[in-house]
Amino acid sequence: MIEVDGLVKRFGAVEVLRGVDLSVGRGEVACLIGPSGSGKSTFLRCLNGLERFQEGRVTIGDVALDAGQSDRDHARAARRICRRAGMVFQGFNLFAHETALQNVIEAPMRVLGMSRDEAVERARGFLARVGMLHRLDARPRELSGGQQQRVAIARALAMGPEVVLFDEPTSALDPRATGEVLSVMTDLARDGQTMIVVTHAMGFARKAATVVHVFGDGAIVESGDPDRVFEAPAHEATRSLLSEVQAA
Amino acid sequence: MDMDPDASESDARGPSLGRNMAATVVLTGLAILAAAPFAPADALDDARARGTLRYGGDMEGGAPYAFPDPDAPRAVTGFEVEIMDRLARGLGEDVRAEFSQGQWDKLLWVLDSGRFDVVVNGYEWTPGRAEDYLATRPYYIYQLQLMGPKGSPVRSWDDLKRPRPDGSPWTVAVLTASAADDFARGRDAGAIRVVRFDGATDAMLAVQNGQYDFTLQDVPAASYYAGAFPGLGPVGPPVSRGYYVIYARRSDTALRDALDAGIGRMAASGELRRILEKYGIWNDLQNELATSFEGPIATPSSSRGARGWRLVLHYGDRLRAATLVTLGLSFGSMPLAMAIGLAVALGRLHGPAPLRPLLAAYVELIRGTPLMLQLYVLFFLLKLDPWVAGIAGLAINYSAYEAEIYRAGLQAVPRGQMEAALALGMSRWQALRRVIVPQAVRIVIPPVANDFIALFKDTSVCSVVTLVELTKEYSILANGTRDVVEFAAAAAAIYLAMSLPLSWFARWSERRLGAEGAKGGLA
Repeated sequence: MIEVDGLVKRFGAVEVLRGVDLSVGRGEVACLIGPSGSGKSTFLRCLNGLERFQEGRVTIGDVALDAGQSDRDHARAARRICRRAGMVFQGFNLFAHETALQNVIEAPMRVLGMSRDEAVERARGFLARVGMLHRLDARPRELSGGQQQRVAIARALAMGPEVVLFDEPTSALDPRATGEVLSVMTDLARDGQTMIVVTHAMGFARKAATVVHVFGDGAIVESGDPDRVFEAPAHEATRSLLSEVQAA
Repeated sequence: MDMDPDASESDARGPSLGRNMAATVVLTGLAILAAAPFAPADALDDARARGTLRYGGDMEGGAPYAFPDPDAPRAVTGFEVEIMDRLARGLGEDVRAEFSQGQWDKLLWVLDSGRFDVVVNGYEWTPGRAEDYLATRPYYIYQLQLMGPKGSPVRSWDDLKRPRPDGSPWTVAVLTASAADDFARGRDAGAIRVVRFDGATDAMLAVQNGQYDFTLQDVPAASYYAGAFPGLGPVGPPVSRGYYVIYARRSDTALRDALDAGIGRMAASGELRRILEKYGIWNDLQNELATSFEGPIATPSSSRGARGWRLVLHYGDRLRAATLVTLGLSFGSMPLAMAIGLAVALGRLHGPAPLRPLLAAYVELIRGTPLMLQLYVLFFLLKLDPWVAGIAGLAINYSAYEAEIYRAGLQAVPRGQMEAALALGMSRWQALRRVIVPQAVRIVIPPVANDFIALFKDTSVCSVVTLVELTKEYSILANGTRDVVEFAAAAAAIYLAMSLPLSWFARWSERRLGAEGAKGGLA
């Protein structure tokens, strides 16, 4: 369902992605792990067009982002991809001037042309699913980080995405909020939602992932079944990553 | 006020004498303080001691009175300049006349402040002025000349008794607070509408442009500028008649008497005639200068009715009308300025690449040139209606400032907001409209409100396009009545009464929108 071929991304002279290939099938939960600066977040942002890349190709369904596209074609393709691929950010990025409910109905109304009533009804469903039905009218700054991130997940789900991209969704949260958010994500995974998750939460990766990809220095150095990767890491980078996490 | 401690303690000559001494010192001090805005002694002594006689005038449209010397642009020349050179030398061998620039309709106020000794700039003798200042005998007898487009069917003042064929009144452009202003306002108000300008040549230009029907000018200016405005010609014979005199402060009798005698000597010797002929403004009427005046024109006994605050109330309707003009200009232009400014800011940050440098240039050009010059372009070059020119000028000028405020506001919205909107499939435009701009607007409320208050007061510049807004009306009334302090206080109070509610509104909306959270996310 998602195919990435030979993705190369440079910031000036610095090559942050050095030819990444990846394939994610329907219903898969792919966790991308790796040390900070290994390029996994940048990779995720290339998938939905927030970043452009210099070589390679991303295909989601029948839409493709290509390194050779004009800016206009890239923007158009990115917009089509974004309708199918939701994104959850490390910093939540809820619309600061809107309530929780308004955040969730905004895109279904503006992008999908849903009526307000329909959008509200669906939004209530998703907010119930993430346990936020009691704070419909709260503004982001009145919510805790964990609550904001749960609303952000509902906002992404409200578009009915084929895949949800999670960019370190718990890195800005305390342990308790991390638990709340990970349990919501675990439920999603169990329900068959296709997900690509960039994370440092190894427990979640091991429990919920169908496949784990280890990033090292701008490339995927190891991929495989989570139990296999965590039990018997094949690559030196994976071993040092796991030992650092255990030491922490 | 306390006594001077040194005076009361240096008491060798006995207590009572000491106390008297101290009292004298204090009284003298008070007298000096009270007289401080004026010259301590007669300005004549000062001028002689200093070696300069400072006289106030306005070089703007100032020919042939006092204007930049074409041969030496940093110097001033004109018939008044030559007269003052002679008069100064008459005060003493080493005394030189020194020109001091001031805005024409404010010269007498500057005289009060002591920045110069006399006012000499085509100032007519009027009973009101003669009551508050000392006047010399005249150095010129002026008349007023109506000027209009050459070939105009109107031939005389009589033709102006009937309105124009379409029923609207004739427009007559004048210099604010001049004798022409008074004279024109005294005509039939139904057939004539007086349009006031800040400069005599501005009025002539607007008539030559076809923006107004006629201009009424003092004869010297009319004949001197005939060459500069070839489209204008005299309409009917000169009318009215009055005297240009030199005004001094009430305390400076000796100076006034010396200058008055000087004019008498110049008139008798023919020196005055030579100067006036040199500037082409001598006519038979001027013969009376030597024959009909033996000294200063007699000051009439006080004829003044209401003064001070009662006078302010008396003119309440005019102040109210001018306030409405100020409000109209402000509320007409600020929404436009905000809209243009937002469009420019969005274009600079999110518009097509070729557009961005153009918009940046627009901001720099508009922000870097004076509002007054922009109004001149709109009014005299594009010949827009005064209201259109005023509102458009303010809107364009302020749009450059608003654009920069909005640009800062837009950039202050965290980048994640745009990314989140795009990631939800919104177009860039939808993201701006629904997510970025609403948050930027909340951020910029305080600086925009600040600018709006500044704009309130900048509307006063619109007097150059003949709009009589609050500052202009204040200036007209304060000039006419010379109750400067009361009218200034009234005008200031009205400005404050207009800007305070705006401040409150800004603070209220800030609070209200602030509660909705202009900042969020990772806070």
